[in-house]
Amino acid sequence: MRAEARSGTLLSAPYVLFLLAFAAYPVAFALALVLMHWDLVTTPSFAGLDNVKLLATDTRFWQAVGNTFVFLGLHLPLQIVTALALAVALNRPMMFRAFWRAAFFLPVVISGAVVAILWNALYATDVGLINALLVKAGIAPVPWLTDPRVAMAAIAVMVTWKNVGFYVIIYLAGLQYIPRSCQEAIELDGATAWQRFRHLTLPLLLPQTILVLTLSTINGFQLFIEPYVMTGGGPLRRTFSVVLYMYTNAFSYQKMGYAATIGVALAMIIGTVVAIQRKVVGTAEAL
Amino acid sequence: MPSVTFDHVTKRFGDVVIVEDFNLEVADGELLVLVGGSGSGKSTLLRMVAGLESVTSGTIRIDDRDITHLAPRERDVAMVFQDYALYPHLTVRDNLSLGLKLRKVPKPEIARRVAWAAGMLGLEALLDRKPKQLSGGQRQRVAMGRAMVREPLVFLFDEPLSNLDAGLRAQMRIEIGGLQRRLNTTTIYVTHDQVEAMTLGDRIVVLANGTIQQVGRPIELYRDPVNRFVAGFIGSPPMNFIEGRLDRNGGAAFVADGVRVELGGEREPVPVAAPVTLGIRPEDISLVAAGMATSPVSGTVVLVERLGGTSHVHLDVGPNRLMAAVSQEQLPAVGERIEVYVPSARVHLFDAGGKCRTARP
Amino acid sequence: MSKFIRAILYVGLALAALTFIYPFLWMASSTLKPPGEVGSLALIPDRATLDNYRIMWGRAPFGRALLNSVLVASTVTIAVLIFGSITAYAMARLTFPGKRALNAATMAVLLVPGQLTLIPLYTLIVQLGWIDTYAALIVPYLFNATAILMLRQFFLQIPQSLIDSARMDGMGELRILFTIFWPLARPALAIVAIFTFMGSWNEVLWPLLVVRDQHIMTLPQLLTVFALGGGAGTLGVSLAAAMVLVVPVVAAYMFLQRYFIESMAGAGVKG
Repeated sequence: MRAEARSGTLLSAPYVLFLLAFAAYPVAFALALVLMHWDLVTTPSFAGLDNVKLLATDTRFWQAVGNTFVFLGLHLPLQIVTALALAVALNRPMMFRAFWRAAFFLPVVISGAVVAILWNALYATDVGLINALLVKAGIAPVPWLTDPRVAMAAIAVMVTWKNVGFYVIIYLAGLQYIPRSCQEAIELDGATAWQRFRHLTLPLLLPQTILVLTLSTINGFQLFIEPYVMTGGGPLRRTFSVVLYMYTNAFSYQKMGYAATIGVALAMIIGTVVAIQRKVVGTAEAL
Repeated sequence: MPSVTFDHVTKRFGDVVIVEDFNLEVADGELLVLVGGSGSGKSTLLRMVAGLESVTSGTIRIDDRDITHLAPRERDVAMVFQDYALYPHLTVRDNLSLGLKLRKVPKPEIARRVAWAAGMLGLEALLDRKPKQLSGGQRQRVAMGRAMVREPLVFLFDEPLSNLDAGLRAQMRIEIGGLQRRLNTTTIYVTHDQVEAMTLGDRIVVLANGTIQQVGRPIELYRDPVNRFVAGFIGSPPMNFIEGRLDRNGGAAFVADGVRVELGGEREPVPVAAPVTLGIRPEDISLVAAGMATSPVSGTVVLVERLGGTSHVHLDVGPNRLMAAVSQEQLPAVGERIEVYVPSARVHLFDAGGKCRTARP
Repeated sequence: MSKFIRAILYVGLALAALTFIYPFLWMASSTLKPPGEVGSLALIPDRATLDNYRIMWGRAPFGRALLNSVLVASTVTIAVLIFGSITAYAMARLTFPGKRALNAATMAVLLVPGQLTLIPLYTLIVQLGWIDTYAALIVPYLFNATAILMLRQFFLQIPQSLIDSARMDGMGELRILFTIFWPLARPALAIVAIFTFMGSWNEVLWPLLVVRDQHIMTLPQLLTVFALGGGAGTLGVSLAAAMVLVVPVVAAYMFLQRYFIESMAGAGVKG
């Protein structure tokens, strides 16, 4: 109907304009900025491949990338194991099931800024809750956020704590689709609880695991507010994340071209890492 | 009461022809049934009258008013949908009145019409319920009520009974027929069910592949199908067909493997030995030789279905399967070899193109 | 399962739940403690005081920030619901040229990492002269691809005959959307509303980029700036500021817990 086409065009026009202004233009301009020097005040000048060359040799950038990988190396296994364990524990008729689920999910709805400030307090060397517990147990307090060896691990634990409820929900949804008959069959085959988990639950949850892996990887690369609030990137730049470095270049140094270059590089790294993960996990499934 | 005229109406989606050069006039107060299989174009025709589907070429008129390009709301037609399309969040009363409110009909008039329709349909006690709380038949009535209160020029029904179970369907069919006669509103009714078409229609249009196969009163379609498609579509149980050819040795006759049926009456000329199809309705075959001119056909009984009043006797005749619908109590046994009688006056002959060659005066 | 294992399971779950809930309780109680007591494990303060809140309120415009947050998050949520459903309705139920391309573009938007567009979006806001305005906080969020796809999915399930019938009753497309589709789509709209509001309410990075003026800052941003800038002074004060941000969310979460979980999970999985 012609009238329908007219209404359709009319009703979707604002969204099309929005996409052009706030999605298409920024992506195109991000790529253009890679080739520019711009401090936001003077007119942008053509930079050729300056930004790319700088990026390739910028040890601070590569350190930030390395830090992010360290973070992922700690965070991803921890995230998957805790989410899976809690989901499997909850996946049965039990008392207060809704309450447990709600408790684990609570940090998910809280702003990252609050969580960072809260954990800053929990990790505080002298007045923090965690060290107070350690002292009570007769263990020496640990300078969680100021010791370069443990700072990133402390942040990884915190991020895991914040997001685990979200991934528990994903795993619980997956567990619902494991047919009862399969569970009964493997029980009749005499499998122990661990064997049931290892040979039935875990393989059937592979799609959820891939999803959790992908989402927490993408989320991990966005690490910003936690080091920004808790450590400022220190100690010894050990918790400086890529996004924090991008932010610093844009707002402390007014280097828009270089900051955009970092953004493009980060997007490429995320794409590559997620693709490799999917390939590896996909192959593991085939074995 | 208005008439609806289709004038060279064609509908295409890209290269696909849905309806091809459709010409028809629906008379004042008539209930016209469009019947055909899926993809025949029947629903598209109805939706073009409603304005829900555009017309590629041609015009549709209500009386003398060209409505081809009017918006649905400007056409003054009302439609009953297959799934009823009741607004789930509104009560029956609000469902009935919404269309009138949108047309700015004064409140007392809305109340009068809703009460009138509810009374006619037996919905008075259900007016404050939501659609979810109604049975299938009740929802169907609300859907009809919503069309009635509009007091439209034309009613459109799109397979209104196909979501009901068999018993309810027969009952609602009778109600719709009765209602339409009382209101005397011009109605176009789409169905795939030939029983609905036969029992409801003042006239029936049989459609296939977007073109009219035949238009006529139900009994005309039954007695004189113009082609093999209509012959097979109308009538239940369906007509028997046997492939064969004509033979003129000692009078015209149809011959096939194990079958020879003498033909009387006027026949359009078909070349001797050309392939033809003989059609005979199950209810026209009898197990005993009757008064009129008949040809005996012998076959082996493979199945006897007793339905109570009538029985269906299935026979193998050479490579062909024949079915006779008979009403006597004495029935042959399975495996028995029997003769059945085919009256030549009831035989239809179709040429290779499917066209009927047994025109009757 | 034996009773013994069951008991262990419950104890384990209770301990786990405690690690998720206790920090918030500890935070709440710490805000009521005088500076000397903050380090203690006890949940009940020996000498409860509202000093931390008084100090916080006096040092930075938290009341104003609360209003800003409410204003920004509500505007964004209402816009996403209205504009999102108009767009989703067109994409789900109307035929128009470019519809498939629009669908593909919406999917593509979800795949683009935010970090890629952050800097150019910021420069766009600078060029528009929107730094330190509500427009900077609201306009880039008026449409949300995840919301549009979720609503579109829901709208696709509504029978065509309802639209046909409404059209024959003389309704226009917007009227069909708001009087027929909206009442039917309430669960989907609630889900979209919650995750949009939460996202906007908790957002920190974007406000940090485009707002420098304390009077335009949203609550999480002011909180971050306040805690970082040393304005807080003591732990108790900065936790008190965090409480202002947390209490409304936790209150809403306790009442609408199921919707929260469903909606955040739904948005995350689809987005």
